[in-house]
Amino acid sequence: MNNEGKKLLLVGDNPFHGISHLSQERARVRGYTMTYPEHAANLVMTSLENGADGFMFSVSELSLSILRTIHEMGGGKRLKLYAIVPYAFEYVRLAAQVGMAGLIKKFAKQIVVSRNLKAIATGLKGVVRTDPVALMKTYLLYEISRIKSSDKKANLDSVLLHEIITDMALALDLAWLFKSYVDFVSDLGIRPGFNTRNFPYLAKKFREWDIDWRETTVATPFNKVGFQMNPSRTECERALSNPHEGNIIAISVLAAGYLEPTEAIDYIANLPNIKGVAIGVSKEQHAYETFKLLKDRLGF
Amino acid sequence: MLDGVHVVDDVGKLSGLDLDVVYVTTPIFSHSFVTKNVYSRGIARNVFVEKTLGSSYEEAKGLCELAQNFRGINMVGYMKRFAVTFRKAKELLDQETLGEVASFEVYGYSSDFFGINKNSKASSSRGGVLGDSGCHAVDLALWFFGDLQVDSAQLASLSNGNSEDSAYFTVKTSSALVGEFSISWCMENYRLPEFGLVIKGSKGIMRVNDDELELKLDGGKSFTWYRHDLNDNVFFWLGAPEYVREDEYFIKSVLESSNAEPSFYTASKVDYIIDQIRCRAGKDE
Repeated sequence: MNNEGKKLLLVGDNPFHGISHLSQERARVRGYTMTYPEHAANLVMTSLENGADGFMFSVSELSLSILRTIHEMGGGKRLKLYAIVPYAFEYVRLAAQVGMAGLIKKFAKQIVVSRNLKAIATGLKGVVRTDPVALMKTYLLYEISRIKSSDKKANLDSVLLHEIITDMALALDLAWLFKSYVDFVSDLGIRPGFNTRNFPYLAKKFREWDIDWRETTVATPFNKVGFQMNPSRTECERALSNPHEGNIIAISVLAAGYLEPTEAIDYIANLPNIKGVAIGVSKEQHAYETFKLLKDRLGF
Repeated sequence: MLDGVHVVDDVGKLSGLDLDVVYVTTPIFSHSFVTKNVYSRGIARNVFVEKTLGSSYEEAKGLCELAQNFRGINMVGYMKRFAVTFRKAKELLDQETLGEVASFEVYGYSSDFFGINKNSKASSSRGGVLGDSGCHAVDLALWFFGDLQVDSAQLASLSNGNSEDSAYFTVKTSSALVGEFSISWCMENYRLPEFGLVIKGSKGIMRVNDDELELKLDGGKSFTWYRHDLNDNVFFWLGAPEYVREDEYFIKSVLESSNAEPSFYTASKVDYIIDQIRCRAGKDE
């Protein structure tokens, strides 16, 4: 991920989905412009020009449109992609509207329509044998094919499991899910990753399950005010300071806009073992200033 | 797939497992049936039921009586009470920071069915907008201000069917405090469900929602708290911190044999208000 000690700088996609963890009101005030693929693609391109290396995004129709637009703008080749699956919001909303059975039917139909033969075959096997690992593989193949069909030249560095899956699987102690996920995604030549809000617990379980940190990416909140750092900022920092060679990407660095960029980035700069940072930007000026600041403060 | 987890297709098959606690998280229409079985078959004495307790006040009242006979700990999942912003608001109200409360407005909005024009089965299985999200708004108001009586009510179906998609109603308390509620799951741009209150008192005004609390006192002093300022961390994050706090509190109550709130009895008041709204809306139409 970063061989020369250079930190990986990623543009996060939360603002493009109308998300603000500080206040939903703030996201509404930003308006619709943020959710236009062209606008978002421009922001990603500006960030790239000012030091960003890639894009961390939830796999949704919107983010795939952004990828297509970036590709058309000629930015795809140098863009490292960090995809988070599933885009939980999309599935939860669908389940709310059509129920769980409706959601499953719709999803199965999408896989068939995608004509991804490997996914269809694995899916059938999963259904016939009620094999959860086969079903998980089907789902991953489907999502990866969606990304690759949006940009055939995409550098898909890592696919991360959304926190809703990671943290639920952690709570249920599902070692098999973590291990089969790591094995399957690694075999595809992609780095498996996990998005979590329980970093110390994940670290403890990885040690217990003998999962090799070096093979994975972990995206987790790190910020000066301990926002979304559970059980506490101190515990998260302690888990980070344990020597390992994991690829930890700090997210929620600005604590959803609660912190000023300078103080937020200074905090990150002083943490050990952080390999990268993902930050969302909502305006051209933000994109320019934030990534310039990241470059300056993170010691390029 | 889940080691040590029994999966059964009939609640009666949970008998004899020596369970300490049962969580009833089935659709609302089945809460009464499942919970009655849990008690009557001796499956567990301690029961947590997701909101709403019943699909009517009659059902909720029946469950309250049953629970009383079994003397276990019971609770209903009104998790907004465990969100740090609403807790802070309750604390400020209890300290009478706003002075005497004169009026309040409550909203509960989401985009769950925004742009959906056909009648959805899922919307009725979720108990309509009142059973799904309106109940949280009502519970918060009951928690903050005490017992309420419905004054007027309007319900609307935006899909031209029988679904209950939005509600507007007014309430009053025994101390003549008046409140207005606006509930809808067809609002544009509410990516996540959001609940909020504007409370006017003799000493100022308070605005609170899931994310922040703003207090403006007469004389110009004002304060804002975000989740960040209110110690929102939990020992293990799952979904949202309020769910974890709610679970932790219920389990602690069971272990210490202490009453948990909102109990069945407290939560049945929400079912009562929802019945009142539906009844009143029928009369007001």
